[in-house]
Parts: sequence; C-alpha cells; structure tokens
Amino acid sequence: MCGAHAAVRHLLGEMQEPNVITVIDMEAGLEHLSRGTDRHVDALLVVAEPYFKALETARRCVELGRELKIPRVAAVANKFRTDSDLAAVREYAAAHNIEILGEVPYEEKIQKADLTGAAPDLGERNPAAAAIEKVAVALGL
Amino acid sequence: MKIAIAGKGGSGKTTIAGILARLLSQRGHEVWAIDADSNPNLGATIGVPLERVKAIRPLEAGILKEATDEKGQRTMQLALEPREVARKFGLPAGDRLTLLLMGTVDHAGEG
Repeated sequence: MCGAHAAVRHLLGEMQEPNVITVIDMEAGLEHLSRGTDRHVDALLVVAEPYFKALETARRCVELGRELKIPRVAAVANKFRTDSDLAAVREYAAAHNIEILGEVPYEEKIQKADLTGAAPDLGERNPAAAAIEKVAVALGL
Repeated sequence: MKIAIAGKGGSGKTTIAGILARLLSQRGHEVWAIDADSNPNLGATIGVPLERVKAIRPLEAGILKEATDEKGQRTMQLALEPREVARKFGLPAGDRLTLLLMGTVDHAGEG
C-alpha cells in the first residue's frame, strides 16, 4: 500500500463532523476509486459530459463506487447543450442502471468564469446553478 | 455528511464541487470544501484568490497518529479534532464555508 495514498485516505476518512458537510473535489480520473481513497464518503457524485468516452469513465467510476459500498452513488450530467445531448446521457444512464442526480446545462457565464479563474456568479438566471441546487435538494440538504 | 465529486479531467468536476459547496453554505450548512485534486482549482471556483490559496497549509500525514480500530487492527487517526484541523489548516471562504487543501501526492513511480 502506497503510504501517501493511505495518508490521504485516512485524512479524508477522518475529516467529518456532525452538522458539517464535507465536499471533496477528488483527483481527476479513476485512481482514487481503485485505491479506495473515497471509501468513507456518504455520497459519490460522478460528473459526466455528454459524450461516449466521458460516459464510459463515469460508468466505471460508478461501478468502483458501488464496490466500495458507498451508500449513494450517482451521476451528474454536465455541460449538455441540447435536448438530444441530455437524452443520450439519460439513455446511457438508464441502460447501465445509473441514477442521475443532476442535469446541469452548459452555461456561458460559468465557462467564462473558468477561463478567468473567477468564481461563477450564482445569482439570478443561472440555470446551471439552479440545476446544482437541485442536487443539494436531492441529497436531502 | 461527506460528498466526493469525481469525474474525468475537464468534465467540470471542480466547478460542480465548488458551486455545490457554495450553495450548501448559502442554504445554511457549515461546509468544508476539500481540494484533493493535485491540480488544485477549487479555490478559484469558490472565490478565493490564487495568492490566498497558495498560502493554505495542506493537510499532511503529520496530523495522523497510529491507533487501533474496533477490530483490533492498526490504523491511523487524526491527532486533533476535525474541527481543530479545519480551523488550523482551512481558509474561511465565505459564510460557513472553509477551504482545505489535501497535501499533494507524488504519483510518479509510486505504486
């Protein structure tokens, strides 16, 4: 067992407190799941863009999350631009028995904020933020 | 409750994590946002300038101590209360929102 990864797993495992929500932005890709780094989380949200390779990666993340017995494992569809994008994600998720907890549309304001390194404005008329808020509600938060 | 956000690079994982953390804090929850990505960008998404992110002391193995779990197995535990860790290492990033950084893990050549 790699010591550094074990340390990360223990640190993430221990950073919990009643009435505090810990949101962890994991390393990109699958390695943290295959190493069990996420073992002690209550929910795993797998973000997927609407194209085949992204969906395949998401499916593998979901499978690994289930193997780790994470109580809630779900996908968040992100950056879809059209209804047919969204339909494709839904179809893939249904075919692989994956719950979709959020459907976040492509949002120009967020992409611009990403480019400039600024925090996106979550104010009115931000459909992406509204969609992410639904994720919080779906998690009972 | 602990929520991990995963996904391919470029999927918008960090953006979703950051916005979710901000919305949860706006909804009245206390939130610890932990950036465990070796390319840490969560700070930017929750409005912390890069200079301030750079000044954050990452969580490190040194705050773990050896312990024995309920099955009698040797394991590691925090040497401090989690809240103390958040206070010592975290950066306040808004109402009820604290940003924490995971120490970077060197992948090259490690198994």
